[in-house]
Amino acid sequence: MQLLNLLNANIRKNYIEMKRYLPNTIALLLTFYIIFLAMFAGIQIIGDPNTQDMNIQYVIVNYIFWYLAMIVVNDIGWQISNEASQGTFEQLSMSPMGVWRIMTARLIASTFVNILIIIGLLLLSMATTGQWLNLDVITLFPILILTLISMFGLGLIIAGLTVVFKQIQAFLQILQFILAALVFVPLSVAPFLAFFPIVKGVDLVRSVMIDEITLNQIGTGDFMILIVNAVVYFIVGLGFFNFCERVAMNKGLLAHY
Amino acid sequence: MDAVIEVNNIKKRYKKRKTKDIIHAVNNISFTVKRGEILGLLGPNGAGKTTTIKMICGLLTPDEGSIIINGMNITDHRLKALHHISAVLEGNRNLYWRLTVKENLEYFAGNRGVSRKKAASLINDLLEKFKLKDKENELVNRLSRGMQQKLAIAISMLAESDVILLDEPTLGLDVETGYEVREILKSIVQDYNRTIIISSHDMDVIQDICERTVIINQGTIVTDDKIENLLKLFEIRSYTITLGNAISTKQKELLTQKFSHHIYTSDSYVTTLEIDLARSEHIYDLFNILKLEATPVESIDRKTIDFEQVFMKIIKGERSNAIAQPS
Ligand SMILES: Nc1ncnc2c1ncn2[C@@H]1O[C@H](COP(=O)(O)OP(=O)(O)O)[C@@H](O)[C@H]1O
Ligand SMILES: [Mg+2]
Repeated sequence: MQLLNLLNANIRKNYIEMKRYLPNTIALLLTFYIIFLAMFAGIQIIGDPNTQDMNIQYVIVNYIFWYLAMIVVNDIGWQISNEASQGTFEQLSMSPMGVWRIMTARLIASTFVNILIIIGLLLLSMATTGQWLNLDVITLFPILILTLISMFGLGLIIAGLTVVFKQIQAFLQILQFILAALVFVPLSVAPFLAFFPIVKGVDLVRSVMIDEITLNQIGTGDFMILIVNAVVYFIVGLGFFNFCERVAMNKGLLAHY
Repeated sequence: MDAVIEVNNIKKRYKKRKTKDIIHAVNNISFTVKRGEILGLLGPNGAGKTTTIKMICGLLTPDEGSIIINGMNITDHRLKALHHISAVLEGNRNLYWRLTVKENLEYFAGNRGVSRKKAASLINDLLEKFKLKDKENELVNRLSRGMQQKLAIAISMLAESDVILLDEPTLGLDVETGYEVREILKSIVQDYNRTIIISSHDMDVIQDICERTVIINQGTIVTDDKIENLLKLFEIRSYTITLGNAISTKQKELLTQKFSHHIYTSDSYVTTLEIDLARSEHIYDLFNILKLEATPVESIDRKTIDFEQVFMKIIKGERSNAIAQPS
């Protein structure tokens, strides 16, 4: 119950801030919508008529995941960096819930809000262009959840680094490209990437949406990789974050001095 | 013993980022605070007040020593102990400036796992009590510094914890708001029976709100006593004596030998002797010296001394033999 209240408070904050900065939010949504439309329009304009559907769908899936990864992983870094310099991070650190729970709640909250937005815009774009992607919800759902959990693990690692190093803006800029690489590089090119966070999940999502593979066609091996990734990255992320918090408490790094 | 906060020999060192110098910000501090007590942590800038408070509220781990809150060691059982603590730290930026007054209260309640519904009536009470009700939908960045500080204190009351720590609660406030914040703090003490530590470099604030003060300087405790006692301590031993006539050279010599702190002034109208006694029984020595020449004593006045002077004397290490022991 306490955890639900925590999650609720963070979703609400996210929502309030989006509403309060409506022009920003609208600009963001509009950009997103236009990019979607452009990609969908691409189906008609460019490429080989036989494969263009696939290419475009491929790009759309990549783009969505990249955006999500940025929101989830990169944004937590910016938040902590800002809040530590203001002093609210210390307030959070005094919650008996533990900061890691608050950070996880924030990761879930921003994912939740943004997935709703993405789904809305995706449907809107499909309605506008009349191009309907294969959205096999039952198959996509477990893949998405597991992929997101590994993403949260990555988010906690970034959060931990920010707690200790604070000025990691430059690193966060680079991280955008690393995330892009993880999302855009196909697994067939570099099979070892399957053990990196996100990559396997995106690959499976592409198979579902483009090759129309269903849940029972996905091998147990593939699912195992997803599950292991999710568990390992999340646990490592948590452990690392808590370690960083302890370092910060020892060295007096929870606030700017 | 009903000690709510026990601080045992805590130490904290910082390493300066550039020079790599080691700073002993807190060096072996111990004190206890009883339930319902309100303790003033007093000391000049850089004395180690903030560092001490942050260690008590679990934001900094002591290098050595232990802190026990309600019987729980804050280092070993941090999250459990945090249920009993809330703090208002220095500065006004520990609020979300882009949220309204009420949204801040709700968000911080939520982060402690309390639902909006459950917090609603408490939040409403606090808004009324802190006279923020008419500002509840105002963005925090539009509030005055004083109102921000009141909101920060209100947020610390949300947790309904036994212990509240306030770091420089009146810093940067104008006189009027500073006074208002003091009144609020006093009413918290009266109405809610919380155990409170207030840090300040302003003795006025401490004298106004607290019964007892721990004075620290350069990371160590200089004094731990009731404010009343501190004042008495210095009061008893400072006298202004008006004499009927001037004293002899012999008497002057003896005075200088016996009393290191005295000021003698004599002109055609009045002869006075201001004297600080290291021990109260030394007054008899003074009388013996005056008796030598049968110098008439016209009046003896106990000098009143305010807390500020006491504080300055203690900080300067004057009369270190007069330093009080914890009562
Ligand atoms: N995070 C920190 N890193 C390095 N030095 C610090 C840090 N925090 C405080 N100090 C130093 O420790 C000493 C005590 O500081 P502080 O506890 O803030 O004193 P006060 O609150 O009494 O003014 C000061 O010399 C200060 O410069
Ligand atoms: Mg301070």
